[in-house]
Amino acid sequence: MQRSDSGNTRGKIERYLPWIGLLVVLILPFLIPLFFIHILIMIFLFAVLGSAWNLIGGYAGQLSLGHAAFFGIGAYTSTMLLRSYELSPWIGMFFGGFFAVVMSLVLGIICFRLRGPYFAIATIGLAEVLRLLALHFRGWTNGAIGLTIPFKGDAPLLFQFSSKIPYYFIILIFLAITLYVVRRVEKSRLGNYLLAIGQDQDAAEALGIDSAKAKRRAFYISSFITGVCGSFYAQYVYFIEPESVLGLGLSTQIALVAILGGVSTVWGPVIGSVIIESLTQFTQYAFAGTIYGLEQIVYASFLVLVILLRPTGVIQWMQNFYNRILQGISKSYASRS
Amino acid sequence: MSFTTVWQALISGLLNGAVYGLVSIGLTMIFGVVKIVNFAHGEFLMVGMYLSFALWALLGIDPLLSIPLVMFILFFFGMGIQKFFIRRVLNAPDLAQIFLTVGLSVLMINLALFLFKADFRSVKVPYVDWTFSLAGAIVSVPRLIACLGAIVFSLILGLFLLKTDIGKAMRAVAQDREVAMLVGINPERMYNFAVGISAALAGAAGGLTMSFYFVFPTVGVSFVLIAFVIVILGTLGNIKGAFLTGLIVGVAESVGVLFVGADLGLAVVFVILLLTLAFRPGGLLGKA
Repeated sequence: MQRSDSGNTRGKIERYLPWIGLLVVLILPFLIPLFFIHILIMIFLFAVLGSAWNLIGGYAGQLSLGHAAFFGIGAYTSTMLLRSYELSPWIGMFFGGFFAVVMSLVLGIICFRLRGPYFAIATIGLAEVLRLLALHFRGWTNGAIGLTIPFKGDAPLLFQFSSKIPYYFIILIFLAITLYVVRRVEKSRLGNYLLAIGQDQDAAEALGIDSAKAKRRAFYISSFITGVCGSFYAQYVYFIEPESVLGLGLSTQIALVAILGGVSTVWGPVIGSVIIESLTQFTQYAFAGTIYGLEQIVYASFLVLVILLRPTGVIQWMQNFYNRILQGISKSYASRS
Repeated sequence: MSFTTVWQALISGLLNGAVYGLVSIGLTMIFGVVKIVNFAHGEFLMVGMYLSFALWALLGIDPLLSIPLVMFILFFFGMGIQKFFIRRVLNAPDLAQIFLTVGLSVLMINLALFLFKADFRSVKVPYVDWTFSLAGAIVSVPRLIACLGAIVFSLILGLFLLKTDIGKAMRAVAQDREVAMLVGINPERMYNFAVGISAALAGAAGGLTMSFYFVFPTVGVSFVLIAFVIVILGTLGNIKGAFLTGLIVGVAESVGVLFVGADLGLAVVFVILLLTLAFRPGGLLGKA
């Protein structure tokens, strides 16, 4: 009796816990200091990017190290449209996503026949070409000096807010939509095709799966989301330059978020982002400006350590932890009643 | 564009290309034997350059003379990286392997930043500005030495792999690990050697270029990107292919710069990569 009672309360808690979590993220920005809101915004941003990458790199097993290309296209498109035509980034962001999708078509033509490291290095090449072109055509992009977003104060129609809280809710909504999309894809036929391709592309093709078509569709979704994130980032920091929005460092960080958390799972990239972004922000806060390179040494040692201990990501740990907490709560609840 | 300009570009390209080739054969060898893509390979070069610089600055040893010592140290450094890090992820998913080496690369770059700051450092040797003219093209002597040195080290590696027992055992592991184990080869040992030799070759490249190039913490990054293009074009695991492609890429880069300007040199290299892969997904020498 006791056992089934405990199981029952556990089910109840499991049903309510996500809603409590949602309530917390909705109230949180009004309670915490500005700096922590910024950290949460970066966590959500990279959770979205990692989830978008996960469709390609996780489910389909195609290690893209060029996702910065989509991000940079989104950032430059909305910013240039705003600066030249005063087009609101709310619209520019869709152009950014659209051009990122066009870029993914180019990538598809070149890269879809490539396997393993060939694919990874070709995607690096594509993003690097874009970065070098952005540095070269100074007339359009201002080269390494970068582009600033003209500051208009509180202008919601121009995607500008003087407070960080609106950005927090915008990226939270992005994250919710992205997680919903990833979940839908995971449960759809496309998701199964991608998983099959990720396991063994030849076997998948032998079963009649059109691998190029499946990858193309996953890339449409992934590149669109990444491009839109690029526009968001530009509006959030008011400044873009080739290295930060098109560089290899960004591409690896996007992939790392998903890999560290756990690929081919809906929540893996979110957990990866929580760990990596809080670590980056913390080490920057604690060590920046003290000793050269120290923040990155701490960060990189941690990464190496986690990968050596948990090569398949930390999501399994987290799941066990979550289960244990649920068990703990339901047990104490049951013993009290 | 005059004939001399193109001729000059061709010569400079060949001189650079041989060094690219030397860096690339180490990278392609790790892939061939250990089956991992080492994103920290550029940092082997960086460590080699700093060692070479330190030996010159502290003891006054010419960077060319210290090459054997640098290679010796780098050999054990590479073996250590294999033993303590790479070995532990050999059975892990590809993603974890690649990200381990990315993590090691970031770690090494920032340790260098921590120890040496971001300054550009160079050695001063008497022969740094010696040049001679070859049918109208100006040839820099230190660069020529680097090119010849790269060719010599590549040939030594080739002979080592073809003639010695360890070389043969390494090729056996590269071809088929299980069968190699059946005939009594210890693959773990061969992996250690492969990474060690690969690091030693990168160290040699560091020593050869130190007399005319700067060293700074991220010096390996630009080299390794070109080396990736080279090993992919030359088909991963193919050592001869990597060296030849190194020469081709060196020439393509310096001739390409004539048309598009110096800041797009790397872009030329990547465009060549992408165009080649679009038509030959297995690289220049691989199966189409």
